[in-house]
Amino acid sequence: MKDRFLNRMAWLHTWFGLVLGFVLMAAFFFGALSVFDREIDRWAIPETRFDPQPMPSFDAVLQPVYAQLRPHPDDMVATQQRVIGPLPHPDTLPMSSLWAYTTHRDPVLRIGAEFDVPNKLKDDADEHAHVHGWATIDPRSGRFLADDKLKIGSDWFYPMHYGLNWSWMNLGYWLVGLAGFTMLAALVTGVIMHRKIFREFFTFRPWKRTQRSALDLHNLTGVVALPFHFFFAFTGLVIFAGSLYFPVGHTLLKPLHKQHEVLEAQRTGLPHEPAGIAAPLASVDAMVLEAKRRWAARDMPGEVGLLSIEHLGDANGYVSLYRAGSDQVALVGQAIHFKASTGEVLREEPPPGAVGGINEFLTGLHLQHFEHWPLRWLYVLGGLLGCVCIATGFIFFVEKRKRKHAESGSQGSRIVDALAVTTVTGMMIAAVGMLVINRLLPADLAGKVDWEKLAFWGCWMLALAHALWRSAPVARARMNPAWREQCWGIAVLAVSAVGLNWLTTGDHLIKTMSGEPYWAVAGVDLSLLATAGIAAWSARKLARREQTPVAPMATEVVHG
Amino acid sequence: MAEALALCLAVLFSLTGMGWLALSLEVHWRQILGRKAALTTAKANRLRLAGWASLLLSAAFCFIADRPSMASLVWVMLLAGAATSIALLLAWRAHWLRVLVLPAWRRRTEYRRSSRKHGD
Repeated sequence: MKDRFLNRMAWLHTWFGLVLGFVLMAAFFFGALSVFDREIDRWAIPETRFDPQPMPSFDAVLQPVYAQLRPHPDDMVATQQRVIGPLPHPDTLPMSSLWAYTTHRDPVLRIGAEFDVPNKLKDDADEHAHVHGWATIDPRSGRFLADDKLKIGSDWFYPMHYGLNWSWMNLGYWLVGLAGFTMLAALVTGVIMHRKIFREFFTFRPWKRTQRSALDLHNLTGVVALPFHFFFAFTGLVIFAGSLYFPVGHTLLKPLHKQHEVLEAQRTGLPHEPAGIAAPLASVDAMVLEAKRRWAARDMPGEVGLLSIEHLGDANGYVSLYRAGSDQVALVGQAIHFKASTGEVLREEPPPGAVGGINEFLTGLHLQHFEHWPLRWLYVLGGLLGCVCIATGFIFFVEKRKRKHAESGSQGSRIVDALAVTTVTGMMIAAVGMLVINRLLPADLAGKVDWEKLAFWGCWMLALAHALWRSAPVARARMNPAWREQCWGIAVLAVSAVGLNWLTTGDHLIKTMSGEPYWAVAGVDLSLLATAGIAAWSARKLARREQTPVAPMATEVVHG
Repeated sequence: MAEALALCLAVLFSLTGMGWLALSLEVHWRQILGRKAALTTAKANRLRLAGWASLLLSAAFCFIADRPSMASLVWVMLLAGAATSIALLLAWRAHWLRVLVLPAWRRRTEYRRSSRKHGD
């Protein structure tokens, strides 16, 4: 009875882990990179290599910037498809609301606005008669930064982490979500199957056969970081549960949602609708001062993280200032709302209750906007432990079967092994290859963004082709040399990326570490060098393992 | 500065804590002190106690360094990092962990070993 139960758990763990492990691996690896997404952005866009800035003065810097902000051409096209009749010229559309968002790691400032559209909507249920505009600016001068530079960290690796950059039918999001559920299932089944959790807590025996040492490492990395794996899979699902996976609030329950908004407006005293009477905007800088004074009075002094203005230019307009969540786990909070025309405080949000506090803690611990460098590195470690856990899971799967497959002539383990090479070393080649191409292509090249994306997918496809081409030895129960060769590939690419960064920008490590310290770029360079070192070391170890003769069939390990 | 110091101590105590917990397992005790080194139940219990106490101390320093919500995250992640480090040390540089074996424990080990030899 117990054995049957264990067998079922093992089956679930093995096959769900295998199928969705490929997706999970991407979620973990790019998640670990996203911890330092802003720093990777700085590396990839050298003209933004300056120190992080606080929210700039609204009256002096931001107001003139918003006056120049126009609806984005991309959103004009998208909105045109939803409305009846042609949209007016973008320059004539009135701005109805705006926002600006920054964290303690951002030198550049992201801003955005909504513009009212006079057209009627095609779909009655669609209430969003707005077109959006957005931009990235230099907060020191208010200068608009070129829109055609890809923020490789926050606009490529980060979306890769939760949506695989596959927007068709939102399939990428759903796949990652499914993988998140699988992760939870794999953790539970894994703990049930692993009968010596405490006795083998610290066990890793690299001198044993690959099958045994891979299983050691699989168990070790799964167990020691179990709280991390569990909470990140779980909070990742929580973050999307409300917005994407179950968007009932915006579909089935739409009337209720609308009603809730109106009630919420009554409760908070913040106007839901514009009054229709024009009104000027009082000094926002004075409101910022007042907000900071109130935060300090509550013993939580801080900077503004998010600034937004609703019903712009209307008597019902209000300014909301959210405190940046740099010293707390919750993202932003302690909002203070001001009447836009007079600057009087409309509402000071109370500290969240128990449920709200837990929700903020859970989402905040995953999205990590806090200021704590050691914890950031520990998160990277957690993500990489997850990667090792998944990778050794693949290796164990292959090692356990390849001899049997070699005898029966099955190609199963050969294909799984080639896919594992592609997901483990191939994914790193894609990521580092993209950075190399970013430095090789001239900054003013038209369509550079597309070339960079193409390089990313191209490198990955090449890694797949290489892994398949070299996979024949696996069918003879030997090791695929692609593992070792791609490790060398990673090492070469990573060192070239550091060298190219020096050549194209003059920012070599001695300068970024001691001359004019700039740790964002130095950190990326040092991580690349560390990656190269580990990859070269692994390649040499793999070479030694490839030469060991095929051992006879062993029956030591009984494990899914 | 005080926070940095508290964090460093938290790292240190998480490492010693995990190290002692590893030593409380016979397989690792022998890995470090030789195949014949005996680990009595009493000694294993003492090691386990030292390990947990050290981990608690590490938690205390985390809470000194940061606000509670942050500190809890730092501590949980430190445990993962420390356990991984100890496991990798045991795999490749096991003898480094001899520094964790207090002289008192070592003396008793050697005594036991020599007494057994006499018994042979």
